[in-house]
Amino acid sequence: MTEEDGSQRDGSSTPRPVKKIAIVGLPNTGKSQVFNNLTGKYTLVANYPLTTVEMNRTRCEIDGHPYEVIDTPGLHCLYIHSEEELIVRDLIFSEKPDIIIQCIDANQLKQSLTLTGDLLELGIPMVISLNAIDETARRGVWIDSRGLSRRLGVPTIESMAVNGLGTDEIKAAVRRPHQPKHGPPYGDIIEDGISAIESELPEDLSFKRKTALLLLLGDPFLADRLRDDYGEHTVAQIAKVVDRVRRRFRGDFGHVLNNKRSRWVDEVVEHTTRKQQLALGEFSKAFARLSRHPVFGIPILALFVVTTYLLVVHVAGFLDEILSAVLLDPTVEFISRLLPAGFWSELLVGHYGILTLGLFNAIVTVLPILSVFFLMFGFLEDIGYIPNLCVLVKRILEKIGLTGKAIMPLVLGFGCKTMATLVTRGLRSRKEKFIAVYLIAFAIPCAAQLGIDMAVLGRVGFVAFLIAYGTLAFVEIVAGFALNKAIKDDERSAFIQELPAIRIPSPKAIVVKTYYRLYWFLKEALPIFIVAAAALFVIDRIGILDLMKSALRPVVGGWLGLPLDIIDVLILSLARHEAAAGLLLNMVDAGALNYIQAIVAVVITTMFVPCFANIVAMCKEMGVKTGLAMAAAINVSSFILAGILNLILVALMGR
Amino acid sequence: MNRKRDRDEHLEQLWSMAEKGEDSIETLRSALGSEFNAEVIDELASEDVLELTEEQSRIRLTTKGKDCARGIIRAHRLAERLIYDVLGGDFESGACEFEHTVTRELVDSICTLLGHPRSCPHGMPIPEGQCCRNSSRIAQSSVVPLVELEVGRSARIAYINSRSDQELHKLDGLRIRPGVVVTLHQSYPSYVVECEGGNIALDEEIVSSICVWREPEDAQPAGQEAPAERGGRGGRAGRFRHRRGRRWHSGGQASHEPDSSAAGG
Repeated sequence: MTEEDGSQRDGSSTPRPVKKIAIVGLPNTGKSQVFNNLTGKYTLVANYPLTTVEMNRTRCEIDGHPYEVIDTPGLHCLYIHSEEELIVRDLIFSEKPDIIIQCIDANQLKQSLTLTGDLLELGIPMVISLNAIDETARRGVWIDSRGLSRRLGVPTIESMAVNGLGTDEIKAAVRRPHQPKHGPPYGDIIEDGISAIESELPEDLSFKRKTALLLLLGDPFLADRLRDDYGEHTVAQIAKVVDRVRRRFRGDFGHVLNNKRSRWVDEVVEHTTRKQQLALGEFSKAFARLSRHPVFGIPILALFVVTTYLLVVHVAGFLDEILSAVLLDPTVEFISRLLPAGFWSELLVGHYGILTLGLFNAIVTVLPILSVFFLMFGFLEDIGYIPNLCVLVKRILEKIGLTGKAIMPLVLGFGCKTMATLVTRGLRSRKEKFIAVYLIAFAIPCAAQLGIDMAVLGRVGFVAFLIAYGTLAFVEIVAGFALNKAIKDDERSAFIQELPAIRIPSPKAIVVKTYYRLYWFLKEALPIFIVAAAALFVIDRIGILDLMKSALRPVVGGWLGLPLDIIDVLILSLARHEAAAGLLLNMVDAGALNYIQAIVAVVITTMFVPCFANIVAMCKEMGVKTGLAMAAAINVSSFILAGILNLILVALMGR
Repeated sequence: MNRKRDRDEHLEQLWSMAEKGEDSIETLRSALGSEFNAEVIDELASEDVLELTEEQSRIRLTTKGKDCARGIIRAHRLAERLIYDVLGGDFESGACEFEHTVTRELVDSICTLLGHPRSCPHGMPIPEGQCCRNSSRIAQSSVVPLVELEVGRSARIAYINSRSDQELHKLDGLRIRPGVVVTLHQSYPSYVVECEGGNIALDEEIVSSICVWREPEDAQPAGQEAPAERGGRGGRAGRFRHRRGRRWHSGGQASHEPDSSAAGG
C-alpha cells in the first residue's frame, strides 16, 4: 500500500492511488452514520454528541475505486475552542483530504453553515449531506437543497442517513468532485489583509487563505504549528505582517469577521428555506421538555430504569432458562458421560471449567442479559434521552465540583466508562478532570455491568436493587464532595451543552447497534472469559487459590460477610466485569448468597477494579502514576465501603 | 444582498427631498449619484411605494412609502444621535449602515434610552415612533440579562458580556449571538435555551452574561415557543425576518410627516 506520497501535494501532478475522504460536521449530525453507509462498516452511532471520540478510518470502494474514509469527532468551526476539535483540524491540515463530506442536521442549518463557510475557504472539494431532511419537512420547514448547492457551490444532498437514503447520491457526488467557488465575502479591507498575509506565508504551505484568516484571528495552535514546521524566524516575520493588518481594524477583528460570516449564513438560509406559519406542536419537543423538568423528569427517569429492570430480569431470565435447557445442560451431561470424572472433565465442565465458567458463562448467562439491556439502552440513546439527563443532574454534579464540560462525560460513563474517560480530554481544568476521571472509574456501572447487576439483584428483589444503587449513588456523591473539598479550585469551564432533538428511533438501527455491541462483546470478551476460567482452574489446581482464600478469610468472610467463593468473582473482575458478574449470577441462582450478601457483592464488584481498558484510559488521560494511584485508591475504598455497608445492613435487618 | 440597501437609500432620499419640498426625479438622480437605479424605482413603483407622474419627471412617496421611509429615517437619525452624543464618534459612516440592519424594536429601544430625541445632530427632525407616542419614560424596552426572562418567553439578544473570546466564539457557533431570538425553556436545574432550532443547556453564569431586549408587556402573548415567523403579533412579529426587504413595518399614524413637520432646528 503506497498511500504516502510525500508531504507535497500540488493538485493533479501526482495522483494518489487512494483518495481520502474526511467526514466532518457539528456534533450529532450523523457523521458516523454516513461513514457506515459509505463504507459498509459499522461504528457506533447514537443520537447524542460525543459518540465518536477518536478518528475512525477504513478503506472502501466507491464505484470500484478505492477510497480511505475518515470519520471524525464533532467540530464547530476551524477557529478552535477545544483540544478535541484541534485533533480534527490537525487531521484536515496535515492529511489534506481530497474530499470533505460535511454532515449537516437540516434542523440546525444555520449552526452548520458557519462551519461550511470555514471549510469552503480551504478550497477542498466538498459534498454536503443534508441529514434528517424528513424532520424539517414535518416541522413545516422547506429547504431548497438545489438553491443551497448553487449558493455554496458544492453539491448538497438531501439524505436520511439513518435509513441510508441519499447514500448513492453522496457516492456519485464523491466520484465527481469539483472545486468549491464561494466562501463568505469579507469585503475589500479584510481581503487585502488576507492577501498581504498570504503572500508572506511559505510557498509550500497549503490552505494559505484559511491560515491567513486564522492567524488574523490570533489562533495560538496554528502559530505553534508553523513554528515547528518553518522555524521561529518565519513565524516572527509573519506575525509582523499579521500585526500590521490587524491594526487597520478598529475594534475586535474576531467580531468583525464573525459578523460578516453570520450575515452570509443568514443570507444563505434566508434564500434557501421557507417556513410554514403553522406547524403542529411536536410530541418530541414536549417530551424533551418533560424529560429534563425538575419534577416530571424524575418519574420519566424512574420509568426508564424500572422498564429496563423488568425487561432484564424477566425477559433475559427467560432466555437464560431456555439456553440453559437447550445448550448448557445437555452439553454438560454429554461431556460428563463421555469423560470420566477427573482432570479433563474438571477442566471442561468443572467448577472452573473453561466451558462452564468460560464459554457458557458468556453465552448462556451474560449474553441474554446484554442483548436485552443493549436493546433498551440503544433505544434510550437513539431517542436522544441521555444528554437531557445532564440538565437534571447538573445541580448535584455542581455540588461535587463538576461544572461545565465535566457533566457530559460523567453521564456518558453509564454507557462505557472507557469512552467517558477519554471524553474528559476536553476538560481544561485539572481539578475537574481529576474528579471526573475518578468518579467515572469509581461507583458508576457501565452499561454491561448495570445490565448484569440488574439481573443479579432481580433474583433477590427490586428493593435490593434500590439499596445497592442507592448506596453506589451515595458513595459516588460523597467521594465527589470530598474530592471537591480536597482539591484546590482552578478555572471553571462554562457549561454549554447542546441537547439533541428527541427522535423516534429506527428499530432497525437499534437492532443493528445491539447486534454489533454483542458481536464486539463476543469477539473481545469471549476469549478473555475462557482464559480467565483456565487461569482460575490452574491456580486452583496448584493450590494458590486456597492459599489466597484462607489469607483473605478475615477480610472477605469477616469484614464483608461474604462466602469465600466471592474471591473467584473478584479475580474474574480483574479480567472482565461481565465474567465476574456472570459468575455472581450463578452463585445467586445456586443459593450461595443471601439477600444482604447479594447486595454487598454487587456493590463491591461494581466499585472494585475498573476494567483493564478503563485503567489504560485513566493512565492515558491522567498519566500512568496518577492513573494507577487512582485505581489503587478505588480498590481500597471499595473494600472499606462494602464492609461498612455490610455492617449497616446486618445491623438493620439481621443476618 | 444589497437590494434592500439600495431600496432603503432611495426611500431615504425621497423622504429628505419631501422635507425640502422637492419632487423632481432629476434632484433624486443627482442626490443619489451612482447609486441611482431605475430598476429599483420601477420595483418600488410597482409595489405602490412611490408614484411617478406620467411624464416621469416628478416622483414622490405614497402613504405606504412614507411609512417605510419614516422607519428608515428614524433609525438613521437616531443612530446618528446615539453615535454622536453617546459614543462621540464619526456618526455619518456608522449610521449609514445601521438603518439597514436594525429592527423596529431595537430602534424604539435606542429612542427610549436616549429620551426620545426630536432631531438628529444635523438638526433634521427624527420621525416619532410608537415609543415616543406612548412617551415611554421607564426604559421598558431596555436590555435585561436573559436570566430575568420568564420561562417560556422569547427575546432578541442585544449583546453578550462574555468572559472570554473563546466562549463568545463557541456561543457564536451555536448561533447565540446579538440579533438572534432565543427562547428560554427552563431555568432549573439548568438553563435550557432554544436558538435557531437547537436546544442548548447552559449554566447560570453564561445565561446572565447574555443580555436581551425586553419586550414591552403588550407585545408578546404568554409562554410560547419560538415566535411565529410572520403575521399577526401586533407588529412585533417577523422577528426572524427583520432583515428582509419586502416587509414594511406599518407604524401607526403619521405625525411627523415631512410636509407637516416643522420640528427640530
